[in-house]
Amino acid sequence: MNNKMAVSPIERRFGSQGLVVTIIVAVCVLLVIVPVVFLLLESLNTGDPQVFPPLSWGLANYSALVLDVRIVLNTLKVAVVATVFAVIIGFLLAWTLTRTNIPGQALLERLLEIPFYVTPLVGALAWSVLASPESGFINQIWRELGGGGALVNIYSAGGIGWVMAIFEGSVAFVMISAAMKAMDPALEEGSRVLGGGKLRTMARITLPLVLPGVLGAAVFVFAEMLGSFAAALVLGIPAHYYVITTAIWEMTLSYPPDYGRAAALGISLFAIMFAMLALYQRIISRNTFTTISGKAFRPRRMDMGRWRYALAGACWLYVTIAVFLPMIALVITSFQRFSTAILPQAEFTLANYLMAFNMESVTSAIKNSLNLGFWVASVGVFIMMLLVWIIYRSRLRGAGAIEYVVMFPQSVPRMVFGLALLWAWLHVPIPLYGTLWLLGLAYFTVLLPLGIRTLAGVVLQIDKSLEECARVCGASWWYQLRTVTFPLLKPGVLAAWLLIFVASVRELGVSIYLMGPNSKVIAPAIVSSWSSSGTELTSTIAVLQTVTVFIVVIVLSRVIQRLSRYGS
Amino acid sequence: MSSAVAADHGFIDVSDLIIHYEDYLAVKGISFNAGAGEHLTLLGPSGCGKTTTLRSIAGLERPSAGEIVIDGKRLYSGKGRVNVPAERRGVSMVFQSYAIWPHMTVFDNVAYGLRVRKLPRQEVERAVLHALELVQMQSYASRSASMLSGGQQQRIALARAIAFSPKVVLFDEPLSNLDAKLRNAMRVELRDLQSRLQITSLYVTHDQEEALAISDRIIIMNSGTIEQIGTPQDIYDRPRNRFVADFIGSANLLRGSVEGRSEEGGYCFRTEGGDLLPCVAPYGVQGNEAEVAIRPAYIQLRNPEAGGAIMQGTVRRRMFHGDFIQYQVQCRSGEMTVRRSPTEVFEEGSNVALCFHSAQCVLLGSQAA
Repeated sequence: MNNKMAVSPIERRFGSQGLVVTIIVAVCVLLVIVPVVFLLLESLNTGDPQVFPPLSWGLANYSALVLDVRIVLNTLKVAVVATVFAVIIGFLLAWTLTRTNIPGQALLERLLEIPFYVTPLVGALAWSVLASPESGFINQIWRELGGGGALVNIYSAGGIGWVMAIFEGSVAFVMISAAMKAMDPALEEGSRVLGGGKLRTMARITLPLVLPGVLGAAVFVFAEMLGSFAAALVLGIPAHYYVITTAIWEMTLSYPPDYGRAAALGISLFAIMFAMLALYQRIISRNTFTTISGKAFRPRRMDMGRWRYALAGACWLYVTIAVFLPMIALVITSFQRFSTAILPQAEFTLANYLMAFNMESVTSAIKNSLNLGFWVASVGVFIMMLLVWIIYRSRLRGAGAIEYVVMFPQSVPRMVFGLALLWAWLHVPIPLYGTLWLLGLAYFTVLLPLGIRTLAGVVLQIDKSLEECARVCGASWWYQLRTVTFPLLKPGVLAAWLLIFVASVRELGVSIYLMGPNSKVIAPAIVSSWSSSGTELTSTIAVLQTVTVFIVVIVLSRVIQRLSRYGS
Repeated sequence: MSSAVAADHGFIDVSDLIIHYEDYLAVKGISFNAGAGEHLTLLGPSGCGKTTTLRSIAGLERPSAGEIVIDGKRLYSGKGRVNVPAERRGVSMVFQSYAIWPHMTVFDNVAYGLRVRKLPRQEVERAVLHALELVQMQSYASRSASMLSGGQQQRIALARAIAFSPKVVLFDEPLSNLDAKLRNAMRVELRDLQSRLQITSLYVTHDQEEALAISDRIIIMNSGTIEQIGTPQDIYDRPRNRFVADFIGSANLLRGSVEGRSEEGGYCFRTEGGDLLPCVAPYGVQGNEAEVAIRPAYIQLRNPEAGGAIMQGTVRRRMFHGDFIQYQVQCRSGEMTVRRSPTEVFEEGSNVALCFHSAQCVLLGSQAA
């Protein structure tokens, strides 16, 4: 009889697993895939684009894409140029910081995280402050020095590509340096010992070995750029230079909105991005040399002699262009009534901050964003943790299917997903549209891949035997979770919480379609301020957002550091 | 329920155990038992199923069929659909990675199994300090577990495993991550501890030297099956087949065939090179045996003029190993490896006679059997 008791919990668990998996898959499909299906249906609507479900079906919206060929070419031009520069920046930074003995390497590596917190939207704004043809700081100084006209014009294809390259450069850096850290330094030392110089070693050994990683980063960055929105919105629209995402935005904003064509354009962009990411998966899964193992190697660095100062200088130049210069420009602007870089002529004032704090739309946007960030991160991490455990630790059948569904949003361009959610929730008879609830749900959905990937890393790095040992010592499942698993996970989970919080607060593509008059959030508020009021007020809001994020990041990073002090 | 277990069975009883790993058949129906207080070792090359067997005894792996009984309690039974979860088996385990929890102190690590059992505070403290004393780590109790060296972690893992007085301790290659010197020292300590505490233990290793040194009995496993069970001496002196002879220690393997009985009650074996060797067949003669094994240490070298030579040869290479000298001797039947004490020196190129006792030349069963 005592046998029966021993069996039952296990049998019960195995009996119900099919049901659990089915429910999870169903909910994920509802959140993730149904909106895209709505968008797909709308793209086939040949009748009145505002009537849904469509009265007549056809491919007219897709054949109309021929008219947009100029936009597609613009998009490709910006994305290709920016990808090339981003990958070059990323490779040089990664090689310098992981393979050479430049001074201040640890500090630089920390500083390179900042572009993620600054966001492309704030970066684009800052660069328009710095380099717009009329009042841009660079052009002001140029004219002050006696130059004529505009030295630089950020409102151009080159300007959009510049800002994108700078921000995606830090993404490429993270991906390529991961590939470099996975390479056995003995392979490079072998080349040095056999008489190969530093340059030859880099060109003939390092580069070919990390090439799959570089190629993967290039494809990934390219896909991100195809779907990127903020820089093209801020810098392209003044010059009437449209890429696919901004064209979709204009189509849905025009009167009457042409949702059918926007949907067709969005679905096409999604198809391209999906293909790119499939290619990326292929590259990173197939093209790894056997010499690059998952093992972590003790970093050994080449002595660059005098060159190390030049290399360090180059890294500092990047950090200056990507972080310091834009932030200084924004801060200076936010304290002036009429922004100028010629400081003797400047009139400093707190008026912009007073105005921002007195504008209900700004304060409520900040409050809403922080609220959403907190709840999406808190509830999201909990649910994502459960999903990660089911996908990677339980041996449930169908766990692979769950993984596939939850990772799906990463192949949908953010603002296309926003449009899809808008369309879906306008036509679902649940009154969520225009509420913070819908924004929260949307954030959770689009941040699923980021959260799952981060938490999976956290879970997988904990040796399974640490948990098994607790069980063998006599701990029940819950006791083991409470005393071993949770405490070990805490620092990693907090880091994931922080990541999701920041990603929520900076979210633009989905928010811009889903916020309503009573559910304003910060990033779209910056965009609307930029298009309706002055640069100074917009800079102020951007500074407020950035500072808030920084405070949270710094405080939580401290806490995480303290929690994980027990070592690796 | 205990009546179901016959009295002549051991403390640990594993019968007809079959384990699938995903779709791969990792353990192909093995049976063995261990007596109370016995130190039993599962030995085999990596991938032979030894760790999988150990983990299914711990309850960390679910077998497909068979039965596992410890102290009369049925922990797993394929037919009876019984699978007691790991935490209710009352066994303990030392993991290969030590699995020391880095977020706890040494004391908390060792106390874990006692606190799970809700023992009173003084009792926990007494048992933890006793366990730490046994592994000579008393002074480390309040240390953070993440600040320990490999050898210290190993000791803490051991203390934690024995602190709650388990019936059985399972060891999963516990010494494989230590360097050679420390490993030797820990073997002695483990053996001492084992005989002092009278714990029944099941030990997994791929290191044959370690297995020989610390076991009461050894189970040799190979690709999911058991090749031989016996005491270390038994397995070393009388390997059942070529796999065992080759895997345990080193052996000179000579091909040939049995040519009838010898005068001392053994057998005569004619090698392919033409030498006639006296040998024993501890597991009988089926008629298809084609190999004998002789341990390098059991062969004596003499001057060719002295009598009693079984084989003649020429020293081709002499290598000084410190504790012994290894000779490669070219004979008619092939090259023989011989290990002698460093005091017995023969020059390279000299002719030597090889002698050994017939009991040390073992006829091997054919592999298929």
